Amino acid sequence: MALGVIYTGEPEAAIKDFVKLLMKHKDIQGAVIPVKMEREGSYAFVFTKSPEVVDKSSPIAPVMPVQGARVLSKLTKRKPLTKPAVAVLKPCEVRAARELSKINQVCMESFITVSFDCPGVYPTKSFLKNADALEEEFKKGLKGLSVSGVRPLCESCTYFTGEFADFEVQFAGINEVRIIARSQRAEAILKGLGKAEEVEERDKKAIEAVLEARKKAKEALKTEFAEKVSTPEKLLSVLSSCINCHNCRSVCPICFCRECFFDSDSLKTPPHLYLERASRKGGLRFMPDTLLFHLGRMNHMSLSCVSCGTCEDACPNMVPVSRLFALVSERTRAIFDYVPGIDDRPSPFLEYREEELEEYEMPYYEARS
Amino acid sequence: MADKEFTPKVFYALCAWCGSGGSETAGAYWLKYPENVRPFRVMCTGALDSAYVLRALIEGADGVAVSGCHPGDCHYNIGNFRARRRIAVMKEILNTFGIDGDRVWLRWVAHGEGKKLADTATEFTEHIKKKGPSPLKRWDT
Repeated sequence: MALGVIYTGEPEAAIKDFVKLLMKHKDIQGAVIPVKMEREGSYAFVFTKSPEVVDKSSPIAPVMPVQGARVLSKLTKRKPLTKPAVAVLKPCEVRAARELSKINQVCMESFITVSFDCPGVYPTKSFLKNADALEEEFKKGLKGLSVSGVRPLCESCTYFTGEFADFEVQFAGINEVRIIARSQRAEAILKGLGKAEEVEERDKKAIEAVLEARKKAKEALKTEFAEKVSTPEKLLSVLSSCINCHNCRSVCPICFCRECFFDSDSLKTPPHLYLERASRKGGLRFMPDTLLFHLGRMNHMSLSCVSCGTCEDACPNMVPVSRLFALVSERTRAIFDYVPGIDDRPSPFLEYREEELEEYEMPYYEARS
Repeated sequence: MADKEFTPKVFYALCAWCGSGGSETAGAYWLKYPENVRPFRVMCTGALDSAYVLRALIEGADGVAVSGCHPGDCHYNIGNFRARRRIAVMKEILNTFGIDGDRVWLRWVAHGEGKKLADTATEFTEHIKKKGPSPLKRWDT
């Protein structure tokens, strides 16, 4: 049992009603929520104070062109908000925001997060080609969390419930919509609104089938996709269509650095050095440093990668970037037994232990005389 | 190529306080290490970003060794602990793509351990010789 509110009807309508209810609280100003754009039919986050805009919004958008954590980061980069705002986010956006708050890039106190059972999102490009039909299909598959043609990483996402937000919205596998307070702050707000009831939590069995299917897809990613990039030759052929545009970096919620090493002047060398590199390697691919960019970025942020798939969505040339990063991040964070956005510990690069990882050091035996 | 023996290009990152000190001690005792090892000094192993190591591997080095102060001896207190985590992550990433994380070695060398430094340089060169040229020596990286 937990504190919460029960709604009947469609999940989206319930979330909208709930957000409007939260906005009536004296300590809450405004909401950050996805809204459908009129012309092209894509979706964008809107920061609003008016309940009418919330009425027009689509809390469970079928696409994710901008990662929500980036929105929160932008909003609170200079200062926290004077009073918190409601933020309706997908589970991976909540995880990314929590991860960013550890490195002081998002002020989580400024947001009351609401998250829900996520069926995944379509790749933006395929959605825009056939928006109306896909939207219908998305609405149909929403309650069963079975939507086909979603991002490859959404298919293998095992953290698809909103339990890490302040309010979790449960609707998959049950008849009504249960909104449950997951933090003390959320409970206090519900009490302040006089709406706190004891709500029974959803039985884990209700979403077990979905979880099993996703776990299977994740295993496939770890074995089949890993096989596709298991040697440098294969990796480079996967990266062959990369044009080094750094789009994946600029949409990544975790890549927050104001100046990136891979954009810096240290990679812009005078012409004779290009020639030298070319003669050393038998030629130089342009744009240069493509592999360095990807491997370097993996080193910098794979421990915090929440596997949201936004990078692949932004890639103009269909490089499977998100799968590469998800694969690598599965392996690197296993070293520290760390799950980004879920663990309360700081990111492994920010702390250390005095005795650990001896297996990565090279032992020395004084064999030589 | 078969008759000519493969001489690997080896980079050896030494921290300013212990690793470089080790090389000074090695010099003081006239210890020799292979000529193909190119030592370079960084202020601290914790300041050695993985991008530099990767850049060396991609631009022609066959192996990169890293030596800094023993755990607990870091001049900046925690630099080498951070370096260890960074190198662990890097090795795991290189292994994922079959680039072989064993081309990166981490071994602590104190200021007085001149012999350990010379031995590491020799041992690492032998190790890379057995492995052969780096698979990243390609034009299409």
